[in-house]
Amino acid sequence: MLEIKDLRAEIGGKEILKGINLTINPGEIHAVMGPNGAGKSTLSYVLSGRQGYEVTAGSVTYQGQNLLDMDPDVRACSGIFLAFQYPVEIPGVASATFLKTALNAQRKFRGEEELDAIQFLKLVREKTKELGIKDDMLKRAVNVGFSGGEKKRNEVLQMALLEPQLMLLDETDSGLDIDALKVAADGVNRLRSPERSALIITHYQRLLDYIVPDFVHVLADGKIVKSGDKSLALELEEKGYAEISAA
Amino acid sequence: MKSLSALAQSYIERFDTALETLPGQSSRSITDLRKAGLEKFSQQDFPNKRVEEWRYTNLSALTKGAANEDSSGAPALAASSFDADFEIVFIDGIFSENESRLDKLPQGLSLSSLATELGNGAVFSLNDEEDRSLIALNTAFMQDGFCLHVTENTQISGVLGITFKSTGTETHGLHIRNRISLDDGASLTMLERHEGKGSYFSNPVTDISIGNNARLDHYKFQNESVSAFHLALTDVEILQGGIYKNFSFSVGAKISRNELKTVILGSDAESHLDGAYLMRGEQHCDTTTLTEHKVPQNISNQTYKGVLDDRAHGVFQGKIHIAPNAQQVAGDQLSKALLLSDHAGVDCKPELEIYADDVKCSHGATSGELDDDALFYLQARGISESNARKILIEAFLGDVLTSIDNDVVREYFNTQSALWLQNS
Repeated sequence: MLEIKDLRAEIGGKEILKGINLTINPGEIHAVMGPNGAGKSTLSYVLSGRQGYEVTAGSVTYQGQNLLDMDPDVRACSGIFLAFQYPVEIPGVASATFLKTALNAQRKFRGEEELDAIQFLKLVREKTKELGIKDDMLKRAVNVGFSGGEKKRNEVLQMALLEPQLMLLDETDSGLDIDALKVAADGVNRLRSPERSALIITHYQRLLDYIVPDFVHVLADGKIVKSGDKSLALELEEKGYAEISAA
Repeated sequence: MKSLSALAQSYIERFDTALETLPGQSSRSITDLRKAGLEKFSQQDFPNKRVEEWRYTNLSALTKGAANEDSSGAPALAASSFDADFEIVFIDGIFSENESRLDKLPQGLSLSSLATELGNGAVFSLNDEEDRSLIALNTAFMQDGFCLHVTENTQISGVLGITFKSTGTETHGLHIRNRISLDDGASLTMLERHEGKGSYFSNPVTDISIGNNARLDHYKFQNESVSAFHLALTDVEILQGGIYKNFSFSVGAKISRNELKTVILGSDAESHLDGAYLMRGEQHCDTTTLTEHKVPQNISNQTYKGVLDDRAHGVFQGKIHIAPNAQQVAGDQLSKALLLSDHAGVDCKPELEIYADDVKCSHGATSGELDDDALFYLQARGISESNARKILIEAFLGDVLTSIDNDVVREYFNTQSALWLQNS
């Protein structure tokens, strides 16, 4: 699914990722944990194609293709979904219009028929019901005036609608109360399948109580310093990053 | 005496000959009016950048006589049809009976060409002003335009279309003079459109009077050729309970200025001046407004939004003037510009001149680029960069366009805005 080899990236001339190696196979859920400033968000932005991050060495192969050559929208259409740590407010763009435009762009990319307004509404109602999300947010402008929890719910709804192959969750748990956390975890768990993978980036172990990872990696100073199974997350919680990173 | 610009010089030299063919030539009073106009104009010349109100708009490309040297002359947007309920059409500033559709004019609405009125010796008292040379020039050379009158308590349904088309063959400038008067309780919705190809100078001057409790919804679509100069001046007087709503949508001209002056002379009167301008290439678009509250208890507001690409330049100068006795007045003003290129720019000068103490006024001006975070967010959901940009530009224009009351006009402007975006 995803193969990251010796990935180095910098922003504004400062090297943040200093040689990341990580392979994610279909169906696997990987968690990347690390202290602030380790490069967690940079990793998610480099994978989703945000401007301003310069890859200086290494490669990223996604489904056999060179991911780094793809524009952000092509990555999204190819099945990569980034759940933002800070979802962006877009005044003047109705959520429903945004979701329909995104979904149809992806369907078109895959050579599928675009959905009309009625088909779209039916689908979106289905998804909001499944996830227990109120659909009145569809009428509002994208994320505008949403609480932190609502914004994250909106990310989960988008993910459910777009049905990505690879989910990247960037600190999805930050600023969430326990109910919202469960909604987010539920969203990911519903999409879990032998073909789909996820990379969960988080500072705390909390989210991993609800989305149980197959592998846990510790990211420190731009490198993966330790990998293990889910028990590593618990160990981290207990001992803290400093001890594990130093070990 | 300082020397006049080449173009001013040529107007002055041409005046005596022009007088023989301009409408109303047999009327002494009209000839005197023209002469007075020329006299005022020749004392002032075209406005230059030393004039405070013209600091941001440089007319030297026009006044040096370069008006007809620019050869591209492409229409800004392809000429579009608007399904008006009745329409008066001017070709190169001259009334075209063939293209107009005036057979179904409703009762209470009278519409005629200015040339006809002047030819019939109608006497006009033109509220000419000392300090605006473009009006003086227009008075001297006014050739045609429309005279519109709605009688007392007549509510005209539908939209009156007023269309000015330029073929680019008129080299002496289009000095269009329009007069609109709505009697007490009358109402009308009109869409004034300017479109053309080639290189020309259009100078429409419009005088509007809104009677007690009358209402005019005045829409304007400025789609002149990208080589044209469009210098429009509109003066409005509003009596008690009268409402004047102007929405100007501008995409055309090389250099354009939309100057609006409203004088509020009654309580419960309203002046709403709004607009959107979309400019690219080397286009320059100036919106200058002056709103004068002469008496207490009335409101005015202005909202303008501009989208500027390439090396395009926008100007917004808005002044609200509140007279000493004009208490309980509300005046709001907002100008926002979206810059799509590092070379695009905007100058804003909001001014409040308040001599009363019990008033509520606000003004604001912002300019900025597309939000990178929003752009990336849309792309990260599979939307291409170009579509994402369009979505964000439409969102920026959204609130000002949705504020348009008339459904048909709103739809028309939305279509034109989408066409403009398609070309980017």
